[in-house]
Amino acid sequence: MNATASLTTPTTATGTRPGNRDGYAIAITVFSTVKWWGRAALPVVFTVPKIAPQTISTLQRLSFIHFARWSLIREIPYNGAPQPEIKLRHPHLYFESNFNGGWEEYIDAFSHILTRGMWLFWGSSYGFPKALPTGPFKAYIKANEMEASHFYSAYPQATATQITRALELDELLADLRARAADMPPDEFAAAFGTLMAEAQRCC
Amino acid sequence: MTATATALDLGDIQGDILRAYGNAYGRTSYVFVTIRDPTGGRDWLRAIADRVMNAAPWPGAEKPSCAWNVAFSAPGLAALGVPERVLRTFSDEFLEGMELRAKVLGDTGSSSPEQWDGGLRHPHVLVTLNGLGERELEAALTELRTEVVRHGLEIAHEEHAHTLDGAREHFGFADGFAQPAIEGASDDRAEGGGVPLRAGRWRALAPGEFILGYPDEDTRVDPQGRLPSAPASPLGRNGTYMVWRKLRQDVALFRRTVAAAAARYAGGDERLLRAKVVGRWEDGAPLVSHPIDPGTFDATAPGANAFLYGDDEDGRRCPLGAHVRRSNPRDALGFEGRLSFRHRIIRRGMPYGEPLAEGVLEDDGADRGLVFVCFNASISRQFEGIQVQWLNDGNVFGLGHDTDWLLGGQNGGSMVVPGATGDDPPFYLAPQGPFVTTRGGDYLFVPGLTALGAIADGVTG
Ligand code: HEM
Repeated sequence: MNATASLTTPTTATGTRPGNRDGYAIAITVFSTVKWWGRAALPVVFTVPKIAPQTISTLQRLSFIHFARWSLIREIPYNGAPQPEIKLRHPHLYFESNFNGGWEEYIDAFSHILTRGMWLFWGSSYGFPKALPTGPFKAYIKANEMEASHFYSAYPQATATQITRALELDELLADLRARAADMPPDEFAAAFGTLMAEAQRCC
Repeated sequence: MTATATALDLGDIQGDILRAYGNAYGRTSYVFVTIRDPTGGRDWLRAIADRVMNAAPWPGAEKPSCAWNVAFSAPGLAALGVPERVLRTFSDEFLEGMELRAKVLGDTGSSSPEQWDGGLRHPHVLVTLNGLGERELEAALTELRTEVVRHGLEIAHEEHAHTLDGAREHFGFADGFAQPAIEGASDDRAEGGGVPLRAGRWRALAPGEFILGYPDEDTRVDPQGRLPSAPASPLGRNGTYMVWRKLRQDVALFRRTVAAAAARYAGGDERLLRAKVVGRWEDGAPLVSHPIDPGTFDATAPGANAFLYGDDEDGRRCPLGAHVRRSNPRDALGFEGRLSFRHRIIRRGMPYGEPLAEGVLEDDGADRGLVFVCFNASISRQFEGIQVQWLNDGNVFGLGHDTDWLLGGQNGGSMVVPGATGDDPPFYLAPQGPFVTTRGGDYLFVPGLTALGAIADGVTG
């Protein structure tokens, strides 16, 4: 085989570690240590809806991102022995998100499209290099990313976009099904044609 | 901003990257050489180094009769004695090589490496020869073969390619003219080739997207002026990465399939259906700007390539799954093209094999297809991004797992051709056997001329 390949760390087709994948779904999990002022600032960013509305609505338009969630971890829950009790000297920002596509494309979208939002969320974390240029930002995320020990997708063969589309189509079909029983063939053919024309507009 | 661009060191950059030799040279031979020992390999490199063509403009109309260019695989660099600590500074996908990335690229089944041409499985060095005509090319080939034997090396594979009439590829489409516009090299092609801006304006791409050692689209906005990651000096300046793939085309199968589908499409309009598959008519006229008829189209006219998909969101003119719309979606992904502008490649492919005579619908068993060549600064972000996310999957375009119908993938592509108006139902192009099969290839590094000298002298660090 190729001797120079041993110089690299294997990633999957999508540029992420194997544990982060289940079929088409990809998980990303990032922990970062938050500076003193983040402890006060982040809850404000999270709860005051006027601060990050653009970021949220843009995120919703990026259909390959299923969700993205940032939370502030102030303490590690203690479930009793044998778990060691851990006291956090600094709060941590816990980021989790699921998406379809490639890891690079995902972070690129964050850098190029959600530039300001990234600063709002990660600006108070130690070492955050800004979202642009993407090179240092990707290195930062890679360095703080954890491979999932368990990741599960209910529909590993589908993407979130496909599932949304399928649900839309299902409604159209259910409607036709309800009307079809009494239709003569030519009327059904016309109704089916209309449904097809309608369905292609779901894009 | 353009200060960096004007500084492109054309005298040190290899000539086939920024210049489309196919326009001037009708014949190209790709010769893969295996290095047996580092000393013999470096002696050979020194012997041919002064033939290697740079990108400096040619004076007047005087073209060299044959242009030489050289590229290396990662095992090739290792075989020439480039030390491991230097190799580690190259990108992961380059170090892995195309064969190990086969699953990533969709090279499975009849495209899997076990099926590849033997000599293409572990290439070391690729010498590309562009000849004005057959005589000039033959002379260069003889010279190259002699030098190879004289230094105790071996030729692993030769692939001979040539332009077809009208710059067509084997399926019959004009090919190769849509190219990225690069600051300092092809600013005049910004309209249509660059990044679309607001109000119909365009700008050329930063040179670091295609040549290592220069600012790219990412670092051009960096106040600290950091450069993108590149191999350690002196290898990281004026070089680039090259993707070389031999793609066999089953022309008879493509013709039969399109003809059969067209019988059910728009009153049997096969020409239109073919255009829908590619997104351009056979002569190159884009469907977005020429939805009904190609008219008279000149691909080289200024602005001929300056079209966007924003006014054709549903793909009524150019289907969302058409080959050119997938491979360069321009503004089709929204956000003013910011999800696509970092996935551009310079294409320098050339057809190989004799064309299948017009009208023939049965395979004659002959090997023909496209030697697909592209240059980019990041194989994973640019070439693999296009191949894996855009051609082998349709999710970002809202096309589910449809793969590019023109290439066909292992299970065959599938495609929806939206109706031309709101009430027309869509037309389905069902999956087929693959029209295109991978026969071999690799990821290569194309050093600048100074870096080539360093490799030949064994002083890479
Ligand atoms: C045998 C296989 C292939 C054939 C027959 C083919 C054919 C074509 C044709 C006819 C065009 C339109 C002419 C032009 O824009 O220059 C085109 C454009 C293009 N192709 Fe391919 N192609 C093939 C494989 C690929 C592959 C594997 C990739 C990338 C991974 C690719 C990427 C592109 C790009 C980027 C464009 C330009 C689109 C634009 O800028 O608007 N092609 N191809």
